[in-house]
Amino acid sequence: MRSSPAFHYHTFLEESIMRKALCLLMVFILFLLTGCTGNPDNQGGKSGPVTITIWHDKEAAVIAVLEEAVKALEPEIVVMFEKKAGMTESLKLVGNDKNAAPDMYFFAHDKIGVYAEMGILTPVTDLLGDDALAGYLPLTVKGGTYKGKIYQVPLYFETLLFMYNKKYMAEKDIPATTEQLYAYMQRKTKYGHYGFVEQHSTPYYAAGWIHGFGGSLITDDGVPCLDCAEVKSALTYHKKFVEYMPGETEYATVNTLFTEGMAHATIAGPWFVPTVRAVGIDVGIAPMPIVDETGLPLAPYSGIQGLHVLKVQAQQKKNVILQVLRTLMRPEVSVKLAKVSGCAPAVESCYTLDEVTNDSLIMAMRHTAETAIPMPNIPEMDVMWTVTGNLLTNVNMSGQDVDSAAKAAQKKVLELIEAMK
Amino acid sequence: MKKSNRTIAGKRTAVAYLVSAPSLVLIFLIVVFPILYTGYISLTNMNTYHWFDFRIIGLRNYERALLVFDSGFLSALLMTVIWTAVNMALQLIIAFLIANLLNVRHLPLRNVYKTILMFPWAMPGYVSILLWKTGMFNSEFGLLTQWMKELSGLTVRWLQNDLSAFICCTVVNLWLALPFMIMIMDGGLKSIDRSFYESATIDGAGSIRQAVFITLPCLKPIIGPSVMITLFTTFKQFDIIYLMTQQVGSQTGAHIHTIITYAYENAFITNNYGYSSAISIMIFVLLIVFAQTTKRRGKEADA
Repeated sequence: MRSSPAFHYHTFLEESIMRKALCLLMVFILFLLTGCTGNPDNQGGKSGPVTITIWHDKEAAVIAVLEEAVKALEPEIVVMFEKKAGMTESLKLVGNDKNAAPDMYFFAHDKIGVYAEMGILTPVTDLLGDDALAGYLPLTVKGGTYKGKIYQVPLYFETLLFMYNKKYMAEKDIPATTEQLYAYMQRKTKYGHYGFVEQHSTPYYAAGWIHGFGGSLITDDGVPCLDCAEVKSALTYHKKFVEYMPGETEYATVNTLFTEGMAHATIAGPWFVPTVRAVGIDVGIAPMPIVDETGLPLAPYSGIQGLHVLKVQAQQKKNVILQVLRTLMRPEVSVKLAKVSGCAPAVESCYTLDEVTNDSLIMAMRHTAETAIPMPNIPEMDVMWTVTGNLLTNVNMSGQDVDSAAKAAQKKVLELIEAMK
Repeated sequence: MKKSNRTIAGKRTAVAYLVSAPSLVLIFLIVVFPILYTGYISLTNMNTYHWFDFRIIGLRNYERALLVFDSGFLSALLMTVIWTAVNMALQLIIAFLIANLLNVRHLPLRNVYKTILMFPWAMPGYVSILLWKTGMFNSEFGLLTQWMKELSGLTVRWLQNDLSAFICCTVVNLWLALPFMIMIMDGGLKSIDRSFYESATIDGAGSIRQAVFITLPCLKPIIGPSVMITLFTTFKQFDIIYLMTQQVGSQTGAHIHTIITYAYENAFITNNYGYSSAISIMIFVLLIVFAQTTKRRGKEADA
C-alpha cells in the first residue's frame, strides 16, 4: 500500500519537529552544562595576571580602601572584591569547589568554627608563619583562633560602647557603676523619656551583663552555661533595669529612641555613631559601668573583621594569596580602614599614631577591648543565639521565673547541640 | 495499515514528549530533584562536622526526628490547623464581599479601587511584614499604639501575648493574601451569566438567595484551585509569624508556633542537614496527607 503525499508531508513535518525539538533539547542540556562550569578567570593561570577573588559584605568605603591598597600588586595580581548577599550560606555550598569558591572572604570571625569543621578554611599561619600576628591585639587574635589554629587575618574590630546624649546627661551623671545607672533611670524615665535603653532581650547585648557577673553563655569547648549561677544572677539583676526600658527590644526602636532624643543613654555599636551625629546629637562615649556586686565592668562581645583563606584555593595560589595578605596587613591600611568603618585597628602599633589616638571613638573601643570578649566562634553558637534569645524574652518580656526559664533553656540547648552532631 | 497507524501514533507521542522535554526537565530540576535529594540527604549524617564526607546512616535521622514530634509539635500542629482555618474563612468571606462590591453596576472609579486593592500584592512580603510590625504594632512609634495612647492613655504591646499576636499576624496575612483571592473571585463573578440573576429576580429571589443559590455554586469550581493553593500557603506559613514575633533580636514574648516555625527552631538551626531533611520529609508527607484529605472531603461534599 502506497502512502499518500499528505501522509509523507505529515511524516516529514513530524520528523522536522522532532529534529528541531532534539536540537532544542541538546542546546538546553549544553546550556545547563556550561552554566555549571566555573569562571575560568578564577583559575591560577601560568601566564598573564592572576585573579584573586575576595567575597565580602562590607560597605563601599571600606572596600575602596582595600582596592586602593592592592592596586600596587597590578598588573601581575588583580584582586576582585565581590559583595555577596547570603555569603555565609554560599560559602557552605561552594566552599570546597575550586571553580566556584572565592580565594578569600572578608567577614566577622564568628563563623570560623563552622567553616573550620567543614574543612573549607586553611589556617593563615600556614601561609604567613606562626609569628605573623605577633603585633596584633590579643583580643583580635583570640577571635580568629579555633582549636589552637588561627584562621583569620584581623583588619579591625568593633565593640559595643556606652553612649550618652550630652544634652540630657551631664558629666556628673555619667554612671560609673550599674547602681548609679539604675538610679539615673529611676529619676529620668518619665514623660516619654528613658534614662537608658538597650536591646535588652538580644543575646549580643545581654552578654555584656552576663560577663559582668563573671559568667558566659558557653565555654570555649562548647558547654552551654545558661543555668549557671552567674548567668542567673545576671538575668535577675538585669531585669530590674528592663522595667525602666521600652517593651520593644529590637534595633530600630532602641536606636530611634536615642536619635529622637527620647533616650538619654544607650549601649550600641560604633556603626551607630555616624547616624547619631548626622541628626545633630552631641554624643559622648563613656566607659562601661562597673557591676557593683562583682566589681567587673559590663563586658560586651566584640566582632573582629578580617580575611579568611579558602583551603581549596590556598593549595594552588599560595604565593599570590600571601602577597595579597601581606599588602592588606600593612598598618596604614588598618588605620584607613578604621577611619572609614568607624571601628578600631587590629594592629597594636597603630595606637601610637596621632590620627588614631586623637579619635575618641577608636580609643574608647581600644579601652573596651581590654575587657571585651570576642564572640565565640564555635559551631555551637548557631543554636545558642536562638535559645538565649528565647530565654531573655521569657524572663524580660513574658515574666517567667529566672530559675525555671534558665533550666528549660539549658535543657533545650543541650538537645540542640546534640542534634547538631 | 494498522501497523503504520501505530507507528504514526508512536511518533506523535514521541514528538509530544520531545516538545515537552525542556519543561519536563525544568520541572524535574526545580520540583522533583530537590524532593528526591532531600530524601537522600535525610538518610545521611550530613552536618557541620561531616559536610563533605557524609555517609548513609539509614533511618537514624527519622528516629531522632520523631522526638521533635513531641507535645510542642502537637501544639504547633493544632495552632497550624487553627491558623489555616481562621485565615481561610476570613479570606473567603472578605474577598467574596469585596469582589461583590467591585462588581456593583455603575460603580465609579472601579479600576482605581482594584489598583489599590492589588497594591499589597505588588510589595515584597518581607517588607510588608516589617512595615506592619514597626509602622503599626510597634509599642513606641506604631500608628495603632499612637491611637490607643490618644484614646485611652494606655501603651499596648500588641505582639506580647499569644492571642493578640495571633490576631495581628492574621491581619497581616489577610493584607498579603486578600488581593489574590479578590482577583480570582472578581474574575469568577464576571464569568457568571447575567441571565441567571435576571431569571432569579423575575422568580422573586432576593440578593441573599441569589448569592447562595447562584453566585456561590457558580464560583466554587472557578475558585477551587486558588483556594487549594492558598490553603497550602497558609498551612506552611513561616515568614509572617517568624518575622512578627520570633526573629532573633526582636522577639516579642508571644509563643505562637506553626509546624514550620517549630521545626525551624528545633531542627533547622542546628545545621544538621540530614536531621533537618528528615523533618522536612515528614512535614512533606503530612502536607500530602492533608492535601488528600481536603481533596477527598471536597469531592464528598460535591457528591
